[in-house]
Amino acid sequence: MTNRLEFSDITKAFPGIKALSEVSFCAECGQITALLGENGAGKSTLLKILSGDIKADNGEVLLDGEPQNFKAPSDALSAGISVIYQERQMVSSLSVMENIFAGELPRNRFGIINYKKLKTEAQKLIDLFELPLDARMTVGRLSVAQQQMVEIMRAYRRNSDVIAFDEPTASLAEAEITILFKLIKELARQGKIVIYVSHRMAEIFRITDKIIVLKDGKFVADLKTSETDERTLVKAMVGREIGDTFSKLSRCTEQGEMILEVKNLTTKKVTGINLSLRKGEIIGLAGLVGAGRTELARAIFGADKIDSGEVLIDGKNIRYKNPSGALALGIALCPEDRKEEGLVLFRSMKENITISVLSRIRKFLFLSNSEEKRLSDRAIEKYDIKTPSINELVGELSGGNQQKVILGRATNELMSTRVLILDEPTKGIDVGSKAEIYQMICDFAKTGIGVIVISSELPEVLNISDTIYVMANGRISGVLTREEASEETVLELAMAEQ
Amino acid sequence: MTAIKTFLRSKNAILLFFLIALILAFAVLSGGGTLRPSNIVNILQSITIVSLLTIGAGTLMIAGEIDLSLGGIGTMSAFIAALLLKNGVPWFGALLAAVAVGAFVGLINGFLVNELGFQSFIATLATTSITTGVGYIFTGGMGVTIEDPVFRFIGNEFIGGYIPFSVLIAVIALVVYAVLLNKTKFGRSVYLVGGNRAAARIAGLKPKKILYGLFINAGALAALAGTLLASKLLVANTVGITSSQFAGLTAAILGGISFGGGTGGMGGAVIGIFILSCFNNGMTMVNIQPYWQTVASGALLLAAISMDFLSTARRKKSEVKI
Repeated sequence: MTNRLEFSDITKAFPGIKALSEVSFCAECGQITALLGENGAGKSTLLKILSGDIKADNGEVLLDGEPQNFKAPSDALSAGISVIYQERQMVSSLSVMENIFAGELPRNRFGIINYKKLKTEAQKLIDLFELPLDARMTVGRLSVAQQQMVEIMRAYRRNSDVIAFDEPTASLAEAEITILFKLIKELARQGKIVIYVSHRMAEIFRITDKIIVLKDGKFVADLKTSETDERTLVKAMVGREIGDTFSKLSRCTEQGEMILEVKNLTTKKVTGINLSLRKGEIIGLAGLVGAGRTELARAIFGADKIDSGEVLIDGKNIRYKNPSGALALGIALCPEDRKEEGLVLFRSMKENITISVLSRIRKFLFLSNSEEKRLSDRAIEKYDIKTPSINELVGELSGGNQQKVILGRATNELMSTRVLILDEPTKGIDVGSKAEIYQMICDFAKTGIGVIVISSELPEVLNISDTIYVMANGRISGVLTREEASEETVLELAMAEQ
Repeated sequence: MTAIKTFLRSKNAILLFFLIALILAFAVLSGGGTLRPSNIVNILQSITIVSLLTIGAGTLMIAGEIDLSLGGIGTMSAFIAALLLKNGVPWFGALLAAVAVGAFVGLINGFLVNELGFQSFIATLATTSITTGVGYIFTGGMGVTIEDPVFRFIGNEFIGGYIPFSVLIAVIALVVYAVLLNKTKFGRSVYLVGGNRAAARIAGLKPKKILYGLFINAGALAALAGTLLASKLLVANTVGITSSQFAGLTAAILGGISFGGGTGGMGGAVIGIFILSCFNNGMTMVNIQPYWQTVASGALLLAAISMDFLSTARRKKSEVKI
């Protein structure tokens, strides 16, 4: 039985970003400890270090004062640590009981699984937590919440002393949350060390005993839940210094006529969205991960199906069914996931630059080499892309340069882009390149492009946008001007419960 | 100079050296027999059918899909052409009908993959079985002889006494598709869609349209290949082209077209076709027993796939580095 989990001076850097620096705190048995922080504060990285998924550059994880050296997730598991992630990690084609006992199925002396014993053992656990489950059900047919319960029982069955939850309520309904919380409290009552990661304020006050606040990879505060309030927490989460990156920006001061209007747009993921964008305006879409920002962008861009509502370009209701139609109207999207959706990594930088304008660089039937070279050279010059040649595979470039290639593609002179949607344009990019990209965004606005920027970094949204739309649960929960908006107001709207 | 240097470092250069080594080895083993003009004509004749199938299968592989139905399509189309000829339809009508049927089956493959979301491996495995079966039903499993003089000419005449007429068709097709892949929007789109379908769509390409085009194209080429084989043998039979289908896939893989999609090209494919043809021909020339030839062909395919696997693994590694 482990009584105390301690993080000591944990430091972890990824290329260009310091994800955690000298984070120290401890969690006691029988308590639920919350890990609170904005997107990018370092919560996930910390969990990954705890689960043995990644290794800290410096510092140690200690159990009852004993330094641990996890080389792989299996090491952490055998030390009694279970981390329950948002994505379920179970075999969906097998039954509840098989998943709970995976790896240690009871067997008879011939090595054959003893299903009778398996079922009684599993039922004991289900009864212990008073869960509405049948041990023989196939996991794939359970709801997300029920699958989560199975996973918790598995962690319990393994005799894990430390059980960590990564945003467990992200996709649960209220009734399910109640059951989950009962379960988590039961774990604490039995003397487990429970770590609870969430940015839903209300929940944290509902079940945790103490709160660790992280900010930009640093430890900020260790508070007793009963002795603090929401205001204090929000302040601790955001109270950062904003460098002069933003004060140096040369902004667009003039806005022209309306170019894009979204009226009552509803898709599978977003509901009743209204939004309007003028020439030269920068709109920031703020909100938590999963609030529906990317989905809204994809709907406007024609990548996802629209169920109802209108998208008006220049006041005209034009229906386009695919990204190709949107691009033809001058709407471009630079997606969040550069590797999955942004670039064709194993093709050259040149091919990635010209991909959207292939029809326009043809001489007779054939692609013009000189036009391709001209457009690529122009992008290199305009955005200062560092590449050995235009034939370099784009996957070989750094993150910042890859982002510039996407920008170069979306804004090249043959595109006549009028609406530019940027989804997390500075994700995974080092600080220096970030500043460059902020200035590029302002420069786009100066040329009369309407820009929509999705960002999970609050200072970014607050400082480059003219207007800020905050999203929560697939809806717009508030619209603020740059002058009105503060980190506190935006965060409150983003966490608004419906 | 730099162009030569880049070529020497490329996959194609390695393949070319391998081909030359193979030719030399068999030339020595056969005491020069493989280099006799009559044998070279043999080799040339054998590449026609494989070339057409390699183009169809290879372009789809570049786009990240696979087509196993080419054998079935070839068999069925050859029967259709032969039956039409027998019933007095002129040669161009019969050829056109065969190719149209091939294209139609390709359209069905495209529909199954694009609209119903089937994996191309499974969809085309089903259609190859169906088309082969339909061929059998039409003819009761009997061969249909071909007497049409134009078909006889296409399949069996030589230009200038040495070059088989059918080779001309293969050469033209290879050149046309090489230009198409390298120089046109369609060709570029094939590579980009094969490299990353989601990204290609976001950037404004239409992956479904490209795949329809490629499946239809592969079906039409398979029909042409089947009909050409029948015109060479002067009979459409049920053995037909099925074995050539795997030769087509093997040649594409030997030629460096990766299963992962997005890479490879006609240059490599041509070398792959020659490696395969010279290998098969050479084994016959040095009197290796047919059963052992089959084993050796399998080993060659394994070697080719290992090469593909290793280079993909290296690619994956460099991806992590980013």
